[in-house]
Amino acid sequence: MKYIKCILSLTLICSVIAVMLAFANYITEPIIAKNDDAKANEALLEVMPDGEDFTLIDTSTMGLATTVNEVYTEKNGGVVVKLTTTGFNPNMTVMVGIDANGNVTGATCLSSEETLGYEKTYGESVKGATISTIDSVDTVSGATKTTSAYRNAVRDALNAAIVAGGGEAVKSDEEIFAENLAAALPEADGLAPVFMLDEIEGIDGAYASSNNVGYVICIGDKFIATDNNGKVISDSATTEEKAAATSAVAMISSWETTQIDLAAYANMPSAIVAAYETNSGNYLFDVKAAGYGINGGNKYHPASGEYIYIKVSITADGKIIACETVSQQETAGLGDACASPEYYSQFNGKTAENYKEVDAIGGATLTSNGYVTAISRVFEAITILNGGAINE
Amino acid sequence: MSKQNNLSVLLKGILRENPVFVLILGTCPTLATTTSVISALAMGFATMAVLICSNVFISMLRKVIPDEVRIPCYIVVIAGFVTLVQMFMHAFLPELYEMLGVYLALITVNCIILGRAEMFAGKNSVGKSALDGIGMGIGFVLALLSIATIREVLGAGSFAGIPLPILSTHKISIMTQAPGGLLVYGIMIAVVNKLTHGKVIKKKEFSCAGCPSASVCHGGCAEAKEDK
Repeated sequence: MKYIKCILSLTLICSVIAVMLAFANYITEPIIAKNDDAKANEALLEVMPDGEDFTLIDTSTMGLATTVNEVYTEKNGGVVVKLTTTGFNPNMTVMVGIDANGNVTGATCLSSEETLGYEKTYGESVKGATISTIDSVDTVSGATKTTSAYRNAVRDALNAAIVAGGGEAVKSDEEIFAENLAAALPEADGLAPVFMLDEIEGIDGAYASSNNVGYVICIGDKFIATDNNGKVISDSATTEEKAAATSAVAMISSWETTQIDLAAYANMPSAIVAAYETNSGNYLFDVKAAGYGINGGNKYHPASGEYIYIKVSITADGKIIACETVSQQETAGLGDACASPEYYSQFNGKTAENYKEVDAIGGATLTSNGYVTAISRVFEAITILNGGAINE
Repeated sequence: MSKQNNLSVLLKGILRENPVFVLILGTCPTLATTTSVISALAMGFATMAVLICSNVFISMLRKVIPDEVRIPCYIVVIAGFVTLVQMFMHAFLPELYEMLGVYLALITVNCIILGRAEMFAGKNSVGKSALDGIGMGIGFVLALLSIATIREVLGAGSFAGIPLPILSTHKISIMTQAPGGLLVYGIMIAVVNKLTHGKVIKKKEFSCAGCPSASVCHGGCAEAKEDK
């Protein structure tokens, strides 16, 4: 009897408390849910001020870009995408709002570890952009890494919005090019542009596989794969294109260089590290450029003491065939743009008359000037090698 | 019991039987939440609310609850009220709810509440239990406030989040850490002991009569020992 009393009273108390808690939960639950929603939606509303009823959707099967973290849909057909990308530093989190018509309604940077802070304001410049106009939005010079990563994130967001709406993602020109290139020679585990030592007529580009299984030759919009001996693997090419590709590979594999003894030439510029003569009568130079690493340096930006090393191939009559930055220690995010193909490929085809007509790197005057001076030394070296004297 | 008038029931919790400085109960939340005045006050008032509610409820049920299962009953009641406070704070004071975090749920195991339930509410009328809850609650709030004030002013150079001149540039950061908490706590116990002229803890009497809770306990623990 005593035990029954104990059990009953404990059960009774538990029931009373349970009823009390149920009632409290009934009152507070909607308020808590509303508070939590408001907090989560604060950032969402910032990029989409007219948005209502945001819902997080499952994107795991959509095959979205890896930068996409979360996708929210909204009552009026809008989409908000949260992405994490790498600008100058990793972990730049961006939130982009896109309305039902595919226009960016707003973009904001939620958190970042960037140096200059352009990511805080760059969202304004992508406002109103669509998938077809996003690539033409200007990046901020001096913060190219940050802003181009931001722009690419917005592009990923626009694609995510299209995919979430049931459409097909739109690829950028670079992505299409890279995909076509890789598709032409699937055996290759990486394709890098061939450094040209001579001009090859009839082709627009040559790529060598990093695992040595062959080449991909670009002619117009065709990607022609060949093996190491120039035998064409692709079927889609015409007979002429196949012949051009085969001869291009034959040329590439025939290139040989002989080192020139620089000590034999008086007045050879000290910037020329090494010079080679190719079997086709052209020259190849290793040049060092004094960029910011040598000429820069103040208390805010200590100089690194490193030259920029450049490889330049040039015809005997002084026309640059190809130019490439081999190594550099310029300021990250600014002068290190001299290592990007967008910069150094500008010198391709330039002569002593027009080599200065290249776009300098924004925010990196010392780097650009040093680079152009190094190129001028190449022309001087050519003159000396041809037996002439430098006109000081 | 008749000797205790309502006023003394209310006031004894503030100094003479202060739960933190004299009874040395609820040390864990005391040390954890006294890094800032705001969180200390939030903790203090949340505990006070639970203390009053559970005291009243347990006092109401003191005739119903069988002696054998009183502890589980008390714990159920206390846990229920803590969850209640938690829910309401989450709904109406979300910032404080996040600031206190897990310590809010840990009010359940705060010895002060179970201690008062066992020592006072289980034996006294509803009105007196409510007064005891208020008094002990105020005592707890004041204790937390005094420790938190010292720790925040010296350790963070601010009071309730407002930066103080001079002090905010000369922070003694150990004060906001655990060792600082223990230091201040120990010094405060000493100060309270001095203020009450050591009356609360009579060194000679290591017996029931020397216990600060003797007035309500009436040697209950001694009797319990003899029973065994």
